[in-house]
Amino acid sequence: MLFALAAASLIRHRARTLLAILGVAVSAAMLLDMVMLSSGMKESFRGLLLSQGFQLRLSPKGTLPFDTDATIARADSLVALLRASPEVARVSPVLGGQLHFPAGASAVTAAALGLEPAVQGDYELVQGRHASAGNELVANDALLRALGRRLGDTVRAAAGYDAQLRALAGARDFVIVGRVRFIYFAAGQAGASVPLATLRAMQGGAETDRISLAMVQLRPGVSVDAARAAFERRLPRVAVISTSAALEQVDQRLSYFRQLAVILGAVSLTVGFLLVTTLVTVSVNERVGEIAVMRAIGVRRWRIVAQIVVEAAAIMLVAAPLGLVLGLVTGRYLNSILARFPGLPERIDFFLFQPRAAWTALGLLALCGVLAGIYPAWRSASLPIAITLRQEAVG
Amino acid sequence: MTESIVDVRDLVREYAMGEDRVHALRGVSFSVDRSDYVAIVGPSGCGKSTLLNLLGVIDRPTSGTVSIAGERVDGLGDARATDFRLTRIGFVFQRFYLMQALSARENVELPLAEAGMKGPARRERALALLEYVGLRNRAAHRPSQLSGGEQQRVAIARALANSPKLLLADEPTGELDARTGAEMIALFERLNADGTTIVVVTHDEVLARAAKRVIHMRDGVVVGDERAR
Amino acid sequence: MIIQLALLAGALSTFQGGAAAPDRPTPRQARTIAIDSRLAADAGLRVGDRVVLAASPGEPGDSAVVSAIVRRGADPAEIARSEYRVRLHLTQLQQLTGYGDRVDRFAVATRADSAIGPAMERINDAAFGFRAHRSRDIAVETSQTFAVVSRFHKAIGVITVFASAIFLLCIMLLKVEERRRDVAALRLMGISARTIVGSIVLEAAAIAVLGSIAGVGIGAAVSWFVNLHYRAVYRTPLSFSVLTGDTVVLAVGLSLVLGIVAGWLAARRLVRTPPLVLFGR
Repeated sequence: MLFALAAASLIRHRARTLLAILGVAVSAAMLLDMVMLSSGMKESFRGLLLSQGFQLRLSPKGTLPFDTDATIARADSLVALLRASPEVARVSPVLGGQLHFPAGASAVTAAALGLEPAVQGDYELVQGRHASAGNELVANDALLRALGRRLGDTVRAAAGYDAQLRALAGARDFVIVGRVRFIYFAAGQAGASVPLATLRAMQGGAETDRISLAMVQLRPGVSVDAARAAFERRLPRVAVISTSAALEQVDQRLSYFRQLAVILGAVSLTVGFLLVTTLVTVSVNERVGEIAVMRAIGVRRWRIVAQIVVEAAAIMLVAAPLGLVLGLVTGRYLNSILARFPGLPERIDFFLFQPRAAWTALGLLALCGVLAGIYPAWRSASLPIAITLRQEAVG
Repeated sequence: MTESIVDVRDLVREYAMGEDRVHALRGVSFSVDRSDYVAIVGPSGCGKSTLLNLLGVIDRPTSGTVSIAGERVDGLGDARATDFRLTRIGFVFQRFYLMQALSARENVELPLAEAGMKGPARRERALALLEYVGLRNRAAHRPSQLSGGEQQRVAIARALANSPKLLLADEPTGELDARTGAEMIALFERLNADGTTIVVVTHDEVLARAAKRVIHMRDGVVVGDERAR
Repeated sequence: MIIQLALLAGALSTFQGGAAAPDRPTPRQARTIAIDSRLAADAGLRVGDRVVLAASPGEPGDSAVVSAIVRRGADPAEIARSEYRVRLHLTQLQQLTGYGDRVDRFAVATRADSAIGPAMERINDAAFGFRAHRSRDIAVETSQTFAVVSRFHKAIGVITVFASAIFLLCIMLLKVEERRRDVAALRLMGISARTIVGSIVLEAAAIAVLGSIAGVGIGAAVSWFVNLHYRAVYRTPLSFSVLTGDTVVLAVGLSLVLGIVAGWLAARRLVRTPPLVLFGR
């Protein structure tokens, strides 16, 4: 009977019900998007950092990895020390730079990484094999497209310019032995990787024993925080950054989005609440006489409140899935805008769908909607019956 | 000795209306026996509807006592009063007050559902009641599809749903034409003949004459009480 | 290049914004540097303090005297970057870092705007390994981050406006329907539908105007607060939120249009319903 009355009431005012559903769905969509935004970047970045299993990153003191051009000197001894540590399972030294590929009158410049292929964690091999010899390199699709080359082709590359000779400095030929996908590169960023020793030699300079970054994978069971603290003590000339510390930095830099998400999320929740409150209040005010009659014929107050709450809940129930779909669609669209941040790794998502958080948010909205209906319903069910009937008769 | 279904002693009801104080009832006392059929008549504002509301436990007296079927009802809490209305009293309103969104059958089922009767039994009883008032063939119609008289008959069926001890009717023919009103009066007579105790408030002289007893009211007091038959 | 700072604390002088120091130090006189206000605050440095600059931690380095503290500019590119900025004489930095006779970039000022194009051509013809760009083009490139944020804001704005329109229509419909009996009575009295719709639209417009004024006030207050908050968080004089005349005109205009349209739609729906139906008969 309760559901029949609630359904009948909703169907009687179709336009109003549909608009309310749409309004709550839009609220739900915005709330979902903000929930996705508030934790999306962090979780997405965490996934990225841990994707290859490295829990610590060592960078020049006072900097974040690849935040600047600074490098770590006496790198080989640093790497040897790390590898000798019992807590360490794997160390990947990384040297960053640029490679210039002559193309007619100009050159195509690509980001370059000098790596040790056996332990590297910067790219995924899509086709071919790793570059192990001094005349081998691996490249991503963006670079191959820019050069018009394929796997197996030979290309000429240099790490710098000699202004006196007006020529590329340290140029040499490479065979493209692998097609790769760089994990931390931005979308469309041309990139190549050569063996670490090769890039060092090409960059030249007085001191070649340098790296930009060392990534460390700890053995299972080793405490990340304890290892980080220990390495910081032993290696005062580098910054030792754990995944959580890196996430904190990212969080701090992008705190604006988190705060925006919280504010807009709260606004969505409030608006959804107000919408349902208004809907229920108007609906109940229209039926004050009907409610008084129900009370007069012996229908209990809580049942009348329950009927009205069921109406509010029905709206939320229909609106929530609609809001979920809307939210996912708008989330994808907004993500595509933010994905164009310069230098942002291609795999970072700002809007990440996490089922638990999403259902919690929608559940919260549904609860708010239901609660929004309770007060006006209770108020109308508590009106004095006789006076209300008289007023309705006069009206 | 006939059992007294309604017993009212020194009933007073006052309420505020703006800055004025309205004395709707100024000390009313009477009783109604089982299976009696009483009409309460009087000019507008004499307090007859107020009296009916107090008998129907949808209002509380300022002072005095009201007993229905041997139980004091003037001081009942909301929950107990609601239960009382559901199981002991049937109320018929001038404006029918049917739920527009429900069919005739569903309107009759409403108090049955509230009393805890399950689906099939509930449906059966509702149809039986509609049969009694001559509307079984209109069970699936909504109030907007029924005439005034038909709506009032559905309202009577609803009022009888839980076999009340007392049927109260506030101007039951007020919204009806003369012919339909006559049908309604005949229905009330049949109900009373079948044992239902009825108290009716009315301006309708024809309805009042159909009752066994007429209580006259004026200015919140009983000024006459005559047994017609 | 980022300079790793090793500090030798020494309070010598308390005055701020010291006088210009000589370009080349005498054997006993350390060279002068300018540091940014953030570094000065965090490291407790003042003008006149002596510091040691090294390219790597642990190296002996070069001593220098802080001769000026520079306030950071309102540069969007520096938002959320927590590094410190130190200005040195070019030769000192080249020597310190072993950079040799190299620089990262030149800034060139031409005698007139008309000379920019020809100057760029001549430089690029002669250049090898570098290119000349207009400052304006560099600014556009480096502002890409904020272009993205701007597009994001616009998208959020559009979504919010759309959502608000739905809410407004819903609430307007509900509120107008609350007065169905009044409207029915007016229609039965002979008042035309046009008059009734006009009256409701006027009411909706008045509410929209009042709401817009309140909204502008709220927007101005929030804008002020946003600047206050983020300037403190990111330690920058940058303005994060600016309320311009155009923005106010757009917001007020849009809310007026939405409010009036919502009122008109709701009113029109009501007057098209027969009065007796509105009475519930």
